[in-house]
Amino acid sequence: MQHDDVAVTAVGLVTPLGLTAQSSLQGWCDGRKAQRRVVAELQGTQLEGFQAGVLDAFDAAARVGNRRMLKFMSFAATLGAAAAHEAMATAAVRKRFDPARVGLFAGTGLAAAGIDEVRPMIERSIEDGRFSCRLLGTEGLAATNPLLSFRILANMPACIISILEGIQGPNLIFTPWEGQTGAALAEAWEAVASGEVDCALAGGADQPAHPATLVFLRRMGMLGPDEYPSPGAGYVVMERASTASRDGIPILARIRAMHVRSVRDGATAAGSDPLSARMGRTFAAAPGILVGLACLGAKVEPRVWGADAQALSFELEAEGQP
Amino acid sequence: MRRVAITGFGVVSPIGVGADAFFASLTRGDSGIRRITRFDVSTFEVQLAGEVKEELELPAEVAEVAAHDPKVGFAYEACRQALEQSAVVRLGQESLLHLGTSLEVFDLSKAIHGGKLDFHEVARRCLQGEGPPVQVPLDTAARLISASFGLPEQVLVNCSACAAGAQAIGQGFRAVRSGRVDRAVCGAFDSMINPLGVGGFQLLGALTTDNARGAHACRPFDASRSGTVLGEGAAIAVLEPLEQARAQGRTILAELCGYGSSLDASSLSAPDPEGKGAERAMASALQDAGIDGAAIGHINVHGTGTQLNDEIEAMAIRRLFSATWQRIPISATKSMTGHLIAAAGAVELGACLLAIGRGVLPPNPCLQSVGPGCELDHVTAPGRGFDGEYVLTNSFGFGGQNATLVLRRAMK
Repeated sequence: MQHDDVAVTAVGLVTPLGLTAQSSLQGWCDGRKAQRRVVAELQGTQLEGFQAGVLDAFDAAARVGNRRMLKFMSFAATLGAAAAHEAMATAAVRKRFDPARVGLFAGTGLAAAGIDEVRPMIERSIEDGRFSCRLLGTEGLAATNPLLSFRILANMPACIISILEGIQGPNLIFTPWEGQTGAALAEAWEAVASGEVDCALAGGADQPAHPATLVFLRRMGMLGPDEYPSPGAGYVVMERASTASRDGIPILARIRAMHVRSVRDGATAAGSDPLSARMGRTFAAAPGILVGLACLGAKVEPRVWGADAQALSFELEAEGQP
Repeated sequence: MRRVAITGFGVVSPIGVGADAFFASLTRGDSGIRRITRFDVSTFEVQLAGEVKEELELPAEVAEVAAHDPKVGFAYEACRQALEQSAVVRLGQESLLHLGTSLEVFDLSKAIHGGKLDFHEVARRCLQGEGPPVQVPLDTAARLISASFGLPEQVLVNCSACAAGAQAIGQGFRAVRSGRVDRAVCGAFDSMINPLGVGGFQLLGALTTDNARGAHACRPFDASRSGTVLGEGAAIAVLEPLEQARAQGRTILAELCGYGSSLDASSLSAPDPEGKGAERAMASALQDAGIDGAAIGHINVHGTGTQLNDEIEAMAIRRLFSATWQRIPISATKSMTGHLIAAAGAVELGACLLAIGRGVLPPNPCLQSVGPGCELDHVTAPGRGFDGEYVLTNSFGFGGQNATLVLRRAMK
């Protein structure tokens, strides 16, 4: 194992502070805060007036670039695909590596379907005022978009990235909280260090600002009273520093340590995310964003833990200054 | 690098709860596939599944969750069995817990109030804490297991669809082998046998609608195969360093010696048409085990019973094992259990333990006429004896994720 030879050569970010790695870094360094908006679907509930982070300028069609694939993708999947593509393109991964030697290590958030996506199915399955399996079998399913499964299955955002980016190597996909995406990053680091892969794309994406998800997070105490959710995505490219040097690819940072461990003391249901005060809680996206910003030279606390009481901690040496 | 032993195995399946009952059913060729009883399927095109019939004895806090999400109860029970067999009293900083699963349960009935879909009312009640939450996060089983059996050093939840179980076990294997942990409790649990799960798969066209075939509707590699059948359950293995297990006098069920994973990067809904992703996973696992394909004496295939999957898996096996495929007996146990989705790979690891430990290869009782392109050395009823050294098992996931494990008979 050569853990000290693992470098990050590219970062891809979509955050409430910016829609690319550089604009997110700029936003962080400028002290910017996430743009927020009242969640309209929650008017008339106990969360009336509640605001969530938004990514108004994010153009999924332009960033994903594959219109046929878009119909299979949740919003979180489009964020992940955009961040992944930025990282893969920056490090020229497709040009430099055998796709079977490139690994994908990803975290995804809670499954969520839009209310409008399930409305036809549910409304057509109501009989005598109640949900009816009998009607679901006849009319409800007939009114359902067959592609719904692709938008809610937890592995799909990462599988879509594998297709769009041509990644064919070893892989692991974890869910649904920060610690799990942290594990994806740590496993990628191990895989590069051990030689299992020559290159790894690692990170995650999440859309916890979905109204139903938001209600669930508040109910379970996973979103603190002063916290708000935000969508986001963060991916990094890891490879051996020696490979990057050979290929003339700039090294952003060298990873010295990266571990995920259970939090035994001080764990709270809400967890702890050093980015949340500025950009909201991005949950499964947070570790990728945090590591990405750190690799770009931002001063951030190198530790995050989630509702799963699993903490990612890391040590890295950024080569440049923001 | 340390060698890795499997010292405990627990299983909850449509053909039995506990390793003995599961193995006995596999040996007899008993199918657990029946008409779905958990909800009204009278108007569904798909009416069959492999349901777990047994009532599980669960602690109150687990039973409360399992009432809404049965797979959580399956996970707990399989874990309890595995830890008991391995004589593990408590999990701690020496351990890793890695569980695979697929999709949260959504109770559609909770979205209806006053005879209509009413999100405001759903939100209001949820926020007031009335009734159970609408969704049960996929880390719930891991949380309950950690609360009951001790908090491991690391708790992972894998969601790699049908490859999740094999991936969880493979990652646990690597963690023990490299010395990152001294024990991995790993496997998977799943149940899609609910209105949205069955309905969703029905819409994707992956399930057979040949309901008249009943127990024999899942027909891997048969010319008449028409789709897979959902199953449910859980399987958990305890992995420890081989030498440590021997020194402590543990029962060694088998040695886990190779793991490989790959991505098709081809299509979300269909396997790579040339089976290259499947072949890469198998080749990678063989390389990891340090053996040649000629050493493999048995394969437990993914074998779902869908047209494309079976043909492509058979093609990949024939290509990789070009010199020996006609002499490698193949078991396709989804013919009896149904497809346990995320849990499939972990349950099929159990079938491999049967092959190694009891010298029996389970049959594919539904195979009557091998389909074109599916030619392999299929084990048919009543099964076969087995004294080989190495066994390989495949799991290929929806979305193009592939994982393969290689086991070895534990020598004295």
